[in-house]
Amino acid sequence: MKKAIIDRRQFIKLGSFASGGLAIGFLLPGLPALAGAPFDCEFFQPNAYLKIDKKGKVTIFVAKQESGQGVDTALPMIVAEELEVDFKNVTVAIAPYGTLTEGAHDTGGSQSVMTLYSTLRQAGAIAKTMLISAAAAIWKIKESACAADNGEVVNTITMQRIKYGALVCQAAQLPVPKEVALKNPKDFKIIGKSEKRANLKDILTGKTKYGIDTKVEGMVYAVAERCPVLGGKLISVDDRAAMKIPGVLKVVKYEGTGAPMHVRAGVAVIAINTWTAIKARKLLKIVWEEGLHNNENTETLFAQFKEKAALAPQYETYSKGKVESIKGKKEITASYAAPFLAHATIEPMNFIAAINGDQCELWGGLQLPDWAVNTIAADFGFKKENIKMNLTLMGGAFGRRLHFDFAIEAVKIAKQIDKPVQLVWERADDTKFSPYRPANYHFLKASIDEQGNVQAWQHHVLGTPVATMTEGPNTKNAPEMSGLDKSFCYDFPNIKTGYTGLAFNINRGWLRAVDICANTFPVECFIDEIAISTKKDPLAYRLSLLENRPDFKTGDDPGAILQSPSRIAGVLKLAADKIGWGATRSPQHFIGLATHSFVFAKAYAAHAIEIELLAPKKFRITRVVATIDCGQVINPDGLLNQMQGALAFGLSQTLMGEITVMDSRVEQEGFYGYEILRFKEMPPVEVYIVESKEEPGGVGEVGLPTVSPALCNALAAAGYRPRILPIRKDGFTWV
Amino acid sequence: MPQFAIEVNKKNYTVEADADMPLLWVLRDLLNLTGTKYGCGVASCGACTVMLDGEAAFACQRPISKCVGKKITTIEGLSEDGSHPVQKAWQKASVPQCGYCQPGQMMAAAALLEKNKKPSEEEIKEAMNENLCRCGTYHRIQEAIHYAIDEINQ
Repeated sequence: MKKAIIDRRQFIKLGSFASGGLAIGFLLPGLPALAGAPFDCEFFQPNAYLKIDKKGKVTIFVAKQESGQGVDTALPMIVAEELEVDFKNVTVAIAPYGTLTEGAHDTGGSQSVMTLYSTLRQAGAIAKTMLISAAAAIWKIKESACAADNGEVVNTITMQRIKYGALVCQAAQLPVPKEVALKNPKDFKIIGKSEKRANLKDILTGKTKYGIDTKVEGMVYAVAERCPVLGGKLISVDDRAAMKIPGVLKVVKYEGTGAPMHVRAGVAVIAINTWTAIKARKLLKIVWEEGLHNNENTETLFAQFKEKAALAPQYETYSKGKVESIKGKKEITASYAAPFLAHATIEPMNFIAAINGDQCELWGGLQLPDWAVNTIAADFGFKKENIKMNLTLMGGAFGRRLHFDFAIEAVKIAKQIDKPVQLVWERADDTKFSPYRPANYHFLKASIDEQGNVQAWQHHVLGTPVATMTEGPNTKNAPEMSGLDKSFCYDFPNIKTGYTGLAFNINRGWLRAVDICANTFPVECFIDEIAISTKKDPLAYRLSLLENRPDFKTGDDPGAILQSPSRIAGVLKLAADKIGWGATRSPQHFIGLATHSFVFAKAYAAHAIEIELLAPKKFRITRVVATIDCGQVINPDGLLNQMQGALAFGLSQTLMGEITVMDSRVEQEGFYGYEILRFKEMPPVEVYIVESKEEPGGVGEVGLPTVSPALCNALAAAGYRPRILPIRKDGFTWV
Repeated sequence: MPQFAIEVNKKNYTVEADADMPLLWVLRDLLNLTGTKYGCGVASCGACTVMLDGEAAFACQRPISKCVGKKITTIEGLSEDGSHPVQKAWQKASVPQCGYCQPGQMMAAAALLEKNKKPSEEEIKEAMNENLCRCGTYHRIQEAIHYAIDEINQ
C-alpha cells in the first residue's frame, strides 16, 4: 500500500509534526503550577507555552526552533490572541528543552504554524479561562459576566477591571480546564496583523546570542580536519608542529560513523580561542585511508543519470491508465537536471558539549533536538536524563540543522577533554562537508493526440536519495517524488511516474523545499513546452488542467492533506493578472509563469517573472510577481519576508548555485566557489496574498519551487529553453 | 604573548594575543563582543564588518597588530539602545529574518552614510554588495537604508 506523502519525509516521520500529539496542559516534573502541585504565588503557568508573573509580565515560550522563518513571532502571536494580551508587552523566550513531550521541538517541513495553530490557541484560551474564573470568584459573579481584555479581566456588570498579574495566585490554584471556547476568527486582533520579529532590538544591537555566540564558563575552542573522502579512516597524525603553537591544549582524534549522520573521521585541535585552533589546524600532517569510493565525480554521475533515464525506473511511484499502449500523434520528450546544493547558512555549524563523568551538557541550534539527544544518548552510553540540552537561536538553517553531525563531533571531542568545548566549522568545512540537497535528473515524455491534448504523461526522476544516507542503502524510502506521486496536480488520462536512486559517496540531506523544489522545476517547464508545442497559451493551458479538477486526498490516513488544484490555479491567475499577462509588452521583454502546491503544508504559490533580453543569453529581471495562498495568515509581514527571501534563495540556485564533486571531494570551498545571490542581483518583487479563511498552512518553503521554472519559462519565451540548473552553465549572464 | 592596547566602542582594552590574530577573534573570543559575526574568515561574506576610523572593514582580515591606534566601532557601539539612525531604520523596515548577517549589514550601511549622507542607488549597491544574506533580506536592507538617509538628512 502506498504511504501518505507526509510519511516519506523522513524527518517528519522521525518527529511528531503531524501526529497531533502535542497535548497541552502538561509540564514535566520540576515545573510548578500543575493542578494540585505546590505553588508559591509568584507566577501562573497552566501549560508549557506561557507564564504570567504577579507583576503581570507575560512570557510566551516557543517550542519550535527559530532560524529566520519567524516562528518565534508567529507562534506567540497565536497564544497572545486567545490570551487577550497586547503583543507588545509579551516577552518571547525559547521553550526550554525538556518542558514538552518528545518531538514538540521538531522544526521543519513548514509544519510549525500548521500543526500548532489549534494547540496554541487552546494554550492561550486555557490561561484566559482560568484567569476569568479567578476574577469571577473574587467578584462572586458568574464567569459569563466576566470578559478578558488587554491583560485584564473585566467585570461586565460593574466595569471593574483586575490585571492578570493580580490574579496569578488564585488562577494557579484552579484545575486546568480540558475544554475551552476559542475566539471567533472575525474577532482576531493580533492574528492577521503584521508584527515585527520578536526581540528585534536585540538583533539590531548585537545582543542576540546565536549558537556560535554562546559562552560557557571555562569553555575552550575546537576546529577539526576531516577525512577528505566520506567513509575513509585516519591512519596517522603528526601534531608536533600544531602543539608548538602557544594556546593549543590538545589534539584529539575521532572515528567516523555511518547512518544516520555520516560523521567523517577527524582530528580536532583544541585551543584557548578559535583563532589559535584555526592556525594550529593548518599545521597538522595527517595520513588518511580514503577507502574504495574515492574516485567519484559529478560529471560521471550525471552521465549515469542520462543513461539510466531511458531504462525502467527502480521504483514505480504513480500509475494511472496504460501509458505503454498510447501512441500519440506527437511525442514530446525533454530532460532536466539540477546539481547538488549546499545550505550555506551564514552562521557556520557549531556546537558546544561538556562532559563530566556520566553527565553531558549541550548547547546549540538544532531543528530536531530529540533525534540528536536520543542518538547521542545511545551512541555514547549516556542516560537520556543525564543529557541537558540548551537550545539556541540559529543563524539560518534551511534544513541544514535537521542534521546533527556537528553535534556528534562536538561530543566525540568533548569526551577527550575535561572542559566544555565549542566546535566551530570553518566556512570551507561548511561548503565541503554538508549534507547536500541531492543532485537530480528528470526524463519527461508526453504523448499528444490529434486535438493537441496530452493522452499520456511519463516522468522518470533520477537522484541520489537522502534516505539511503540517513536510513542506509536498503531503505524503502528512497524515492523523492513529492508532487509527482498521487499528489501530482495535473491530471491526464494516462500517467506513469517513477524513481531511480543511484549511490554516490557524498552525504545528502534536506534543503528548503526539498524534493518539491527539485520536482516543480521540470514539471512547470515541461507543461510550458507542451503548451508552446501545441500552440496553446501557457496560462490558459494550465488553468484548463487545474481549475475544474476537484480537490483530492493523497493518502489513506485521516490526517492526509487535501490537495486543491483550484487553489493552485488561483495563485497562478493572480500572478498572471498582476504582471499583466496578455498585455502588450515593451520590446525584448518576456514573461514566464509557474505554479504549484507545497503538498505537505497546505500552501500554494506561483511566480510570474518578466525579463528584458539585453543581448544573446544576457538578461535583466525587470519584474517578479509572487503570489501565495496559505489560508489564514498569522503574521503578514513575516509572510512577506519569507516570500521575498524565498525569491533570493530560488534565484541563487537558478542562476549560480552548484556543488560539484571530483575524486569524491567537493570542489567548492566557500562563497568564492559556491556563490549565493548578492545585493546587486536582487530584482524587484511584488508579493500578493490570497485572502482566505482556510486553516493556516506553512510558508517557509512554498515561495521557492516556482522561481526556477518561472525564470526559465521567461527565457524560453525569449527563444531559449534552459533545462539545466544553474543556468550559468549554459552561458547565460544577467545584470 | 604580546599585548595590544586597542580602543573599541570608545573604551580602552589591553588584550594579549598573537600579532596575527584577526580583530574578529579578538572581539569575539577575548572581549566577548559577539555582535561581530564569523561567517567565512576569508573576506567573502561581510558578516564581520566593523568600522575602523569610520571606514567599513572586515574584522576577519585585520590582524590585531594593525588595529592599534584606530577607533574600532562594532555593532554594540553603534548604539547600545538601538537609537542610531541605521538601527532605527532596520527596525522600521523589519529587516531581519535569522538576523545573523545584519550586524555586518548595518555596519556597512553606517559606514557608507558616515562618508556620504545622500548616496545614490548605485553607491548603495556598491557599498552593500560584499555583504551576503542567505535569508534574502536585500529588499528590506535597501528600504532601510533609504529610511536612514531620510532621517539623517532631516
